[in-house]
Amino acid sequence: SLAKDDSNSIDGGEWKPTTCQGCTTWCPVEVKVVDGRAIKVKGNRYSKAHNGNICPRGHMSLQQVYDPDRIKVPMKRTNPKKGRNEDPKFVPITWDEAIEEIADRMLELRENNETHKYVTFRGRYTYMRDIIYGKFTKIFGSPNGISHSAICAEAEKFGSYYTEAYWGYRDYDLENTKYVLLWGADPLASNRQVPHSINAWGDVLDQAGVAVMDPRLSATAAKADEWLPVIPGEDGALAIAMAHVILAKGLWNKEFVGDFVDGKNRFKVGEEVDESTFKENYTNGVVKWWNLGLKDKTPQWAAKRSGISAKQIERVATDFAKAGPNVISWLATGASMHVRGGYTAMAAHALNGLVGSVDNKGGSIRHSDIPVDDFPGYKKYLDKVAKKGLEHHKMDQRGYKEFPALKKGKSGKGVVTNNAADAILDEEPYEIKVAIGYWNNFAFSCSGTDRWEEALTKLPFFVHITTNPAEMTQFADIVLPAAQHKYEKFGYVKSKANTHAYVTMNQPVIEPLWDVKMDETEVPWLIAEKMAEKGYDKLIKYFKTEIKDPETGKSPANEYEFSEYALKIRTQPLWDPKIKVNGDQINGWKEFRKLGVWNSESYKFKQNWDDFGTKTGKFEFYSETLKKALGKHAKKHHTDIDDILETCKYEARGELAFVPHYEEAYRWGEEREYPFVFFEHRSRLNREARSANCNWYQELKDVDPGDEAWNDVAKINPKDAKKLGIKTGDKIKLISPTGEIECEAKLWEGVRSGTVGKCYGQGHWAYGKVASEDYKNKLPRGGNNNEILPPDYERLSGSTARHGGVTRIKIKKI
Amino acid sequence: MAKYVMVIDLHKCAGCGACVISCKNENNVQEGFYWGHYTHKTVGKFPNVNYEFIPTLCNHCDNAPCVEVCPVGAMHKDEDGTGMVLHDPDKCIGCKRCQKADPYGVINFNKEKAHPFWRDNEKIIPKVTSSGKEVTKAVGEIPPYYNPARANTTDRDKTYDGVRRKGVVEKCLLCDHRVKEGLKPYCVTACPADARVIGNLDDNNSEANKLLKKYKSFRLKESLGTEPRVYYIRDFNSQK
Repeated sequence: SLAKDDSNSIDGGEWKPTTCQGCTTWCPVEVKVVDGRAIKVKGNRYSKAHNGNICPRGHMSLQQVYDPDRIKVPMKRTNPKKGRNEDPKFVPITWDEAIEEIADRMLELRENNETHKYVTFRGRYTYMRDIIYGKFTKIFGSPNGISHSAICAEAEKFGSYYTEAYWGYRDYDLENTKYVLLWGADPLASNRQVPHSINAWGDVLDQAGVAVMDPRLSATAAKADEWLPVIPGEDGALAIAMAHVILAKGLWNKEFVGDFVDGKNRFKVGEEVDESTFKENYTNGVVKWWNLGLKDKTPQWAAKRSGISAKQIERVATDFAKAGPNVISWLATGASMHVRGGYTAMAAHALNGLVGSVDNKGGSIRHSDIPVDDFPGYKKYLDKVAKKGLEHHKMDQRGYKEFPALKKGKSGKGVVTNNAADAILDEEPYEIKVAIGYWNNFAFSCSGTDRWEEALTKLPFFVHITTNPAEMTQFADIVLPAAQHKYEKFGYVKSKANTHAYVTMNQPVIEPLWDVKMDETEVPWLIAEKMAEKGYDKLIKYFKTEIKDPETGKSPANEYEFSEYALKIRTQPLWDPKIKVNGDQINGWKEFRKLGVWNSESYKFKQNWDDFGTKTGKFEFYSETLKKALGKHAKKHHTDIDDILETCKYEARGELAFVPHYEEAYRWGEEREYPFVFFEHRSRLNREARSANCNWYQELKDVDPGDEAWNDVAKINPKDAKKLGIKTGDKIKLISPTGEIECEAKLWEGVRSGTVGKCYGQGHWAYGKVASEDYKNKLPRGGNNNEILPPDYERLSGSTARHGGVTRIKIKKI
Repeated sequence: MAKYVMVIDLHKCAGCGACVISCKNENNVQEGFYWGHYTHKTVGKFPNVNYEFIPTLCNHCDNAPCVEVCPVGAMHKDEDGTGMVLHDPDKCIGCKRCQKADPYGVINFNKEKAHPFWRDNEKIIPKVTSSGKEVTKAVGEIPPYYNPARANTTDRDKTYDGVRRKGVVEKCLLCDHRVKEGLKPYCVTACPADARVIGNLDDNNSEANKLLKKYKSFRLKESLGTEPRVYYIRDFNSQK
């Protein structure tokens, strides 16, 4: 029979490993290079997480690296006026000129003892971020490494942290699972572990039940046994009612949770239970949870709130629990990035606790150790100015009363990315004068984009390191052309799937066509060199002294060597044959560059059952860990927890705040004026909103169920459309209390009456000529959802609340 | 040679479109042209809605209408007996009769020079950004990720245009350039769901035959009597 692979080349080329960061699955891939050209992409054959598979995004990246609209050389704005309607009048300049101007502006801050007024805005990243966002920013003297994380998924991590003290994405053991409950998760299309999920799905459907909670008939819902088209933001009602059913029907996992001392189930609708009658094993507070948050929460109760029939809720909960413990309650952004989504995340994840699937075979697991090294310490390179600068509070207002951002239990440890715009505008805590943004596009990707446009207009000096002239670029003073992450850059990322954790390397597999530099390593090196010429040499000293080739001890001679040595240092335990690790044994740096990936051993189940790392050590249904974190935050602000909850727009008061519980969806806009609940979703072709300038993206946009090729459509239930007199293809305006956009109407039965669903990713008014209808006139193809989504937050985690029907809208036919 | 059929397992298919992009990539297919594609529809009323997705390609019919109507023998069944419907651009006169006769809509006609996107000279920011023309000039190929294997392999001939000339038709050739070198068609290789199987119809033990025995199958527009060689098994949708 015919062979799948063509390593025995028919095109004279060579496969070279690197990493695809089109979404946050972060796939190990190989690129076929022929005569210096990248011609194809496939999954890395050595990957145990994805077994050589990639999704459509992997192929599509070829149109990114060869995108004609990429920036070829550094450029500088010549029109000092900033704003969406101002032409920046960019002109090309040399790297030296660009770096000189940046160094001057940064050194001016040092002279004035205000290094804290500098910010590094990080978007997508590799772990080489620890140079530009970490060491570079800190040694210079600014506390302001501001990541994008809170527009990504922090509310999701909140769920697993305040139940099992795990601040991270879970891996899910699809191979051994018997039931999969997906909470706003769409793994056949988007984030996370997409290729593995696609590959496993046929078998999953054969061996397991699959139920998808999603307001839209998603790619995964289209291939599920049950679709629960929940009213946006009301997922919590479903999760809570399912927990109720599982306890009331006696279906919890006795090994994990424990049982009533006499074996008699006292979980009866509406009845309080005496805690002393139940003996728990690996969990904390199941009876408290029942008494506080579950006892009245029947499927009938949830049906009214969620729009899902009591019968279906009960059936799904029962099937899920009966198939336990080898089942998955798959937590994702769709059900957690809501204003009140923190507790939904906890509730959805707590179901794993109830049925004993947490850290278990076929269930929701963590990942094996990834033994990478840190960069050497930087403290001795801090001078007086820098030390003083670092004493300042971070600029995004994290830890303020209204922004607890309780990452890993600590007030203000998490980032509040989207609030950075307001912080700049309000000069609170202080004025920001200089910023470098890389691999990000906050003027497009953050809700309430108008604030970013204003903030970037106000910012005196902004440098954007980017592949394309994006929305954020339009406000830049200096623009630096970035190496494309998959084809032209050194780096590595860590991820997991299929019970294997892994490290996958980004490396230059082709010579760049243009005068680009690696954002995370080369650019900071160049700035450091220039600063040294001008008398400030701490940065370059750190780079030259501490980032040496671990094999030869040689100092880097230039920015390219620096980038490679930095990667070598971090990954040394993986490739150095003298270091023993639990996973692939790789024989040297050269071999690692040839393999491109390091795999851990398969995950050992139940390794955290004896101590989850929570305050009680148990899986917490009653979260002592959250109670402590909230208590500390309240104390910091001289108030009580109830006041904090009220400030953060939560309804719970008292003890209810410490258990997963139902919170009514929070929405902007009055129903009378804005009759429709708006919700957004992701595309299986989105490379994080960076692929709309690819022809393949536009041509195939209809692989997202309900969507149309070369278009951006609002999906409206035909019943509603009829009332409005709207047909498919009509141009419409979507108007929220905070903004309006234009797009086309699509009548579709895959959304509920009263809701409007629209994909994120289109609506670029800058980025390139394919993405826009008309780049020159800043006319987008469709509309960017973030222009109508209000800038609101799940404040306990600091997350941007982009899901859950955070705003109501009205529709106007144009 | 083997008589090839393709079996597509819709239960495994995730509807992701990787087959279409990878096909365009392998065969240097320009914008607006599709050698492989898909159909989809949403049926039912909320909340009882089903989404159906069927990946499509040339069916390489035994009784291929496109072959029958071709006046010059450009569209032809492979002489090697593989069953593939191949195309000879040297013979093609661009009359488009095949396109009209084809009941599946899989034949594209090159009215203009191919890949206008990559020949275009527009720069969105003068002197700073590039253009399709500049990129392809810099890498030396159109499109920049041009796959030379499309043109320079197969013992059938070494002349099939890597990028098709103006005035001829083009369509899926079942990756004859790969199959004849012992490799699976690229859509089969690239499918992350392993939903596509290519196999020898004459070999009882081929995976394709095993699947066709195990599951009920259907082909597109069977009633036309074209005898397609692309079979579909199981359902895309499994909703209870």
